[in-house]
Amino acid sequence: MRLVALLTWPYLRRHKLRSALTIAGIIIGVALFVAMHTANRTVMAAFQTTVDRIAGKTELQISAGETGFPEDILEKVQSHPYVRAAAPVIEAVVATGIPGQGNLLVLGVDMTGDQSLRDYDLEGGDEDVVEDPLVFLAQPDSIIVSRVFAGRNRLETGSRLPLETMDGARRFTVRGIMRAGGMVSAYGGNLAVMDVYAAQMVFGRGRMFDRIDLALQEGVGIEEGRKSLERLLGPGYQIETPESRGKHFESISTALSFSINITSVFALLIGIFIIYNSFSTAVTQRRGEIGVLRALGATRGQVLGLFLAESAAAGLIGSVLGVVCGRLMARGMTLFMSGLVEVSYGANQRPDELAAEPWLMALAVGLGVVASVLGGLLPARAAARVDPVRALQKGRTQVMTAGENRLRRRLAAAILAAALGLLVFGRGNAPFYVSYILLVVALVLFTPALALRLARMLRPAWKRLRPVEGVLAADSLIQAPRRTSATVAALMLSLAMAVGFAGIASASRGSMNAWMRGTMNFDLILTTSETLSSQSYRFPPEVAGEVASIEGVAEIQPVRFGRIMLRGRPTMMVAVDVESVARRITFQVVEGDVSRMTRLAREGRGAIVSDTLALIEGLKLGDILEIETPSGPLRIPVVGTTVDYTDQRGTILIDRELYRRWWKDDSLNIVRVYLNPGADRNAARERIQERIGARHRLFVLTGAEMRAYVERVADQWLGMTYMQLAVAVLVAILGIINSLTVSILDRRRELGVLQAVGATRAQIRHTIWMEALSIGVIGLILGLAMGTVLLYYDFYLLRLNIVGLRLDYEFPVGFSLSLIPVILGAAFVAALWPAESAVRASLVEALEYE
Amino acid sequence: MSSWELEQKALAPIIRLRGVEKSFDDRKRVTALLGVDLEIGGGEMVAIIGPSGSGKSTLLNLIGGLDRPTAGEIHVDSRPLASLTDDELTGLRRDKIGFIFQFFNLLPSLTSLENVSLPLHLRGWPRKRIRDRAHELLELVGLGHRLDHLPDELSGGERQRVAIARALSVYPPILLADEPTGNLDTETGAEILRLMIDLERRLGTTILVVTHDSSVAESCGRTIVLRDGRIVEDRRR
Repeated sequence: MRLVALLTWPYLRRHKLRSALTIAGIIIGVALFVAMHTANRTVMAAFQTTVDRIAGKTELQISAGETGFPEDILEKVQSHPYVRAAAPVIEAVVATGIPGQGNLLVLGVDMTGDQSLRDYDLEGGDEDVVEDPLVFLAQPDSIIVSRVFAGRNRLETGSRLPLETMDGARRFTVRGIMRAGGMVSAYGGNLAVMDVYAAQMVFGRGRMFDRIDLALQEGVGIEEGRKSLERLLGPGYQIETPESRGKHFESISTALSFSINITSVFALLIGIFIIYNSFSTAVTQRRGEIGVLRALGATRGQVLGLFLAESAAAGLIGSVLGVVCGRLMARGMTLFMSGLVEVSYGANQRPDELAAEPWLMALAVGLGVVASVLGGLLPARAAARVDPVRALQKGRTQVMTAGENRLRRRLAAAILAAALGLLVFGRGNAPFYVSYILLVVALVLFTPALALRLARMLRPAWKRLRPVEGVLAADSLIQAPRRTSATVAALMLSLAMAVGFAGIASASRGSMNAWMRGTMNFDLILTTSETLSSQSYRFPPEVAGEVASIEGVAEIQPVRFGRIMLRGRPTMMVAVDVESVARRITFQVVEGDVSRMTRLAREGRGAIVSDTLALIEGLKLGDILEIETPSGPLRIPVVGTTVDYTDQRGTILIDRELYRRWWKDDSLNIVRVYLNPGADRNAARERIQERIGARHRLFVLTGAEMRAYVERVADQWLGMTYMQLAVAVLVAILGIINSLTVSILDRRRELGVLQAVGATRAQIRHTIWMEALSIGVIGLILGLAMGTVLLYYDFYLLRLNIVGLRLDYEFPVGFSLSLIPVILGAAFVAALWPAESAVRASLVEALEYE
Repeated sequence: MSSWELEQKALAPIIRLRGVEKSFDDRKRVTALLGVDLEIGGGEMVAIIGPSGSGKSTLLNLIGGLDRPTAGEIHVDSRPLASLTDDELTGLRRDKIGFIFQFFNLLPSLTSLENVSLPLHLRGWPRKRIRDRAHELLELVGLGHRLDHLPDELSGGERQRVAIARALSVYPPILLADEPTGNLDTETGAEILRLMIDLERRLGTTILVVTHDSSVAESCGRTIVLRDGRIVEDRRR
């Protein structure tokens, strides 16, 4: 450590920019890791916090997926001897219509029983209102709001508050204001309470409740109470503690966590390469210093220790700064993810403060330091191997010997063979993952040899372009392949990963478009909210009949969807009139016969599952699905598998009649509308708005608008790809600056001699620029080639049971072509500063070694 | 050291080379040294001269344990270098040999005091002792007033004095100097030479100087002339 203090600090002071670049590598990696995970944890925690704060003294919650259950269940529960208090709940997120206020979480509760579960801490003078719940009940337009929300909107008792209801916009009267703190801080304070029976009407629930919150008698254990209620209600209900609801949310958002983990690993991997590159540069720059140290009696171990300690210190500083930057970035990313989670999963959460989990920060710092030490390991070993005699001879460099190259190539070939062997002969997931990693390692090991070959191929072209500068630029790469191989490898890896993400994005978009063309062929669609995943409002069943009777409407398809529990996991179920749907849409069948599957589904004797669900759950034709319903377990065979992107974790399609029978629920989420041939779409839309929009909350979209909405949601997911591209460009710039700095240092004498014999500054500049462009070209060629191979693995990976997405191989040609100007532009920008430093270096000093 | 002690020390050769050869295989094989036999007694001050490419620096690197011979034996302080591991060789270099280079090879980011302290830090000495020793050495070479100067702030002669102080950090019995005056003007070169002679006399250090400078050679008690990798002359004064 003393050597670090004595030698490293002055070196860092003298090379501020380079030190900053090294640390920047770690900052980027750690910041991305912290930002993405903090945002994810924040959104997850916000959901759980909302659940917890609203739960109050609730010990158990009874629900039936997202579908709700009939009112009579409440009586059964209330009369159970173990239950001290049970209260029905309806939960909905409502647009306030007040600019800048966003949504309001409305809790529909039964005031007569609910006060033993939740503490409505009302401000002075208001107690009378709710202390007599009957007063509250007698006035169905009553609402209680939080102090935070009231304060923001200058509301007082008696104020009128407009809210969107199923019957259109209605004005509610504020009958009470809840004091800040406790339950009131749920959903960022945007919380309101109303009577549960009013909420049934307002949100189109019919005679159903979303859930029952309950407290047990004293002395009854939670597990004991849960089991007893389970026996009472049968398997169609989930009886859980409020805490376990967060777990379901985590399980439906697996795709988000998967993307985040992949991006984090990618960022850290790139960080390792940047460190490797920076330390390789430092070793080259400090060759003389190392030589002196060795001559003065420093052992190889001491030199190795010095560089490893430096990389650990850089890792620590970069990681701490990375955590700080990551926290700053997390704010923006949380908003992005919160929006994504809302539109994708319909989860009620409103993050108000960032999750600050010490273990996450400690993990980020730990990973940053480990990544930094890993990145610094090979350069440190190279430093320990510096030959003091050569290092002390001015102008001589130590290049990698042919022997080392041969060894590396042989090792790479052996690893590649192992990777391919595992791919061809391996069974199951583990050999596939190992094969993936081995392939990446083999390609990275091959990089110096491939880069050298490509540099040789570039030489004649460069020579034709610029006889002197071109040749010098190519020769610089040919003579010292080690100098650039780290940069090329980092560039190759980051481009390959970016190509991988873009390939998946483009294929999934293609596949989704094909699915949309086949299924979203309706003329109009009626929804209850802007985000299709929201379960806050539902149409009453009569809406379907009303729409069908409107002039110009040829056919309607009412749809009820919601997550039910399948094998302990929330799974999306879609209930439709299969006969009508089968006539109108084209199923993309993966397994099964289309006419047989639709016939059986129509008769209520089978379920059609999406390919994604089949892959995730390993379902095959004929497998029996056991679905928990309010009427008991429904056992139904899988009669077909089709492509369906309604939900990320897959869907189960059944006939609506079957759903009505088992769930005793005839409410609707959406209504698909087909018009008569030649009917005016806009006129029909207006008629629907007039007839139904006057009484019900309603959004009417055309097929094209609906498809555009789905594409917008998909695009938000693709935002991750752009982050990969940004990292790839940063890697290109940092890596190329490093490589050029070393190259100029190594060739100081050569460049000095060139200037001494008459080369102009412009010519020297061109040499450096061309060297940078060469690195860019080689990185691009290898990156695109590696991307072509890795993409195959990526598609296979998606098919496994984590994501369950079956896509055909598709190379992202457009994206890859767009990389060419981006990376070459980045290479040129990276060359500007090193080129200037080369032309401004002292000629006398450069020639001193002659 | 008394003259009797110096005489006793001189009896046993501190450096001994038998049939030493060194060739390099960069692109084509180049022989730098061929059949070199040499014995240097303790406390001797020896000049090694010869034209460029005659093998002078190679000889110094081999004696200093920076490089290994292709053939032959080298004993330093009675230890055969061939049998030493890399770390043992480093240890020998650290405790027995000091190096002085033509281009000083000071670390530009360290002050005079820090440059001189460096070898002592490598030995893990306590800080206080390092500071005292570095002060003492810089006083010895006449730079007590330049402790906190960076190499850039020193003249050529002063830089070489710092390099000498650094080489003497543990008062090694052997000092190897590669063209120590080659980068200095005549007057400064003479000053450095006087300092080295003084050290030889006061500390009994064995000094080997590779030089092109005839005045340096004349000041040494023994001159070895190398040509084409062989010793062609070994004269004592």
